Amino acid sequence: MEEELKRAFLGMKRQEAIDLVKAALESNTDPLMILGVCREAMEEVGERFETGEFFLSELIHSAEVFKQVSAILEPALISRRAPETSGSVVFGTPKGDIHDLGKNIVVTMMRAQGFLVHDVGVDVPPEKLVEEVQRTGTNILALSALITPAFVSMKKAVSLLKEKGLREKTFVIIGGGVTTDLARKEVGADAQTLDPTKAIRLCRQYLERTTL
Amino acid sequence: MIQETMSRMERFEAAVAVERPDRVPVMPLITAFAPRCQGITQGQAWRDVDTGLKAMMDTFEDLGGYDRLYKPNLFWPMIGGVFCAAPVRVLIPGRQLGEDELNQIDERELFAREDYDKIASVGWNAFWKEHYQVMSGGRPMEKIASTQNRLLEEYIREIEIYHGMDIHPLFGAYVDSTIMAFSMCRTLTQFTMDLYEVPGKIKAAMDATCDDLIQNALDVIKRTGIPLVFIVLERGSGFYYRTDIFEEFEWPYLQRYVDAFLSEGITPWFHFDTDWGINLPYLKELPKGKCVCDLDGMTDIFKAKEILGGHMCISGDVSAALLSLGTPEDVEEYCRRLIDKVGRGGGFILTTGCECPVDAKFENVKKMIDVAKEYPGNW
Repeated sequence: MEEELKRAFLGMKRQEAIDLVKAALESNTDPLMILGVCREAMEEVGERFETGEFFLSELIHSAEVFKQVSAILEPALISRRAPETSGSVVFGTPKGDIHDLGKNIVVTMMRAQGFLVHDVGVDVPPEKLVEEVQRTGTNILALSALITPAFVSMKKAVSLLKEKGLREKTFVIIGGGVTTDLARKEVGADAQTLDPTKAIRLCRQYLERTTL
Repeated sequence: MIQETMSRMERFEAAVAVERPDRVPVMPLITAFAPRCQGITQGQAWRDVDTGLKAMMDTFEDLGGYDRLYKPNLFWPMIGGVFCAAPVRVLIPGRQLGEDELNQIDERELFAREDYDKIASVGWNAFWKEHYQVMSGGRPMEKIASTQNRLLEEYIREIEIYHGMDIHPLFGAYVDSTIMAFSMCRTLTQFTMDLYEVPGKIKAAMDATCDDLIQNALDVIKRTGIPLVFIVLERGSGFYYRTDIFEEFEWPYLQRYVDAFLSEGITPWFHFDTDWGINLPYLKELPKGKCVCDLDGMTDIFKAKEILGGHMCISGDVSAALLSLGTPEDVEEYCRRLIDKVGRGGGFILTTGCECPVDAKFENVKKMIDVAKEYPGNW
């Protein structure tokens, strides 16, 4: 099952992946183990994207399959121990911008790779973003934008993190079509990228640095 | 100041023909920036067409004038419609959005996967005639068509006003590429799933759509009288898809667009949002000096020059981030580099990378225009 399921993910075969997961559940395979296989497949999708073998469309397709498979697994997972997480992230599109395509792709990719993502949606005021960082105790704030008015909200969120004494322990990463390194400097973020897999790698590297 | 020996239109046409004009033409794509610049809200400019028009004119003058104006007002063709583009819902400042927010597209599924067969059997226009009312929750097709027509008439009135001032709006018509139209109707995610799971259905629907989109654009150009078609391309690029998808679902239709438009004497303007680097070599198959490759800053414009130089005019690509966050010195340095490298030998138009951001600094936009007028360059 493991190899077939991975092949279904990597071959962009949604229905096959869903059928395999359902069959595995029916034969009492540990749902955590099934989830683990799906995550491994998603990691390979990410790796192939980074080498240029896969394109964004393959990330989008496999992320959608992962989302659907996760929904099938969820009832079985609830009764088991929680899957291990790689870290947690608060993720949103800041106030002034309602675009969510890029955010949604990265959120699903992050979840597929074991991150606990608190998706706060679009057009989110800076105060709400920082409240969510406080409430969840996460140390990564990810912000996505497609238009420049979002820069003001990003900058304010960073400033609020400082006011609340959270800036030093929060990694702020920005992305989306309009962001550049100049925007990163202006808003005071730690990292900027347009590449979903690089975003995940940067978050992982941050977590590795801070947990050493 | 460079001694000008050409009119604005002669300069523009020389650049399109990959010839060397008297100086590099410059034309920022300004919409939302104009009301902000004139101290009025986006809502005011959207509600009252004359207010929007005045904001655009005053901004054009305040900036010292430039070679072509993309469009005279905010509203057209950003309002979605069935004529030439996916009938997306545009959220408008002061209505669905805050008074001074930026208009944005509310992307959602406008038709289902099952509808590809219907489109394949009746074509794009006939499909929307039937489907629009269902999709929009009862809003009759005639109503959107009437709104579109009213806005087009307003646009034509404004074109005439501008022509009287030797200012030349760019848009003759605005048309989505096939992938753009379908992706906006299905959403990026669902369209991508469709490409992998029902490619034959998409292909059949596109075959039945392409000529309708071309004809719709030709009909609009007949009325505007501007022989230039602004082709919106974003979703078919190598940023999203491998080239075999581009070769099957975008390129053959784009070639059909180009053939049809050129045969009517209409210049195709390819508005390439996102990174089209791996797709650029295909453009060399198109006739020399007849089209414009307009880049938004995500495609490497300097590599584009290496590929297309001497064959196709390139326009671009002063980025939104640079205009809103940079200094005039930063803008000047980048524009000079563009003129020296991409402008070399001609065939270059200095534009904003997609749209000038609403919060651009006035002095930065002015600097971009001034550099084109003053910097003799090494080209």
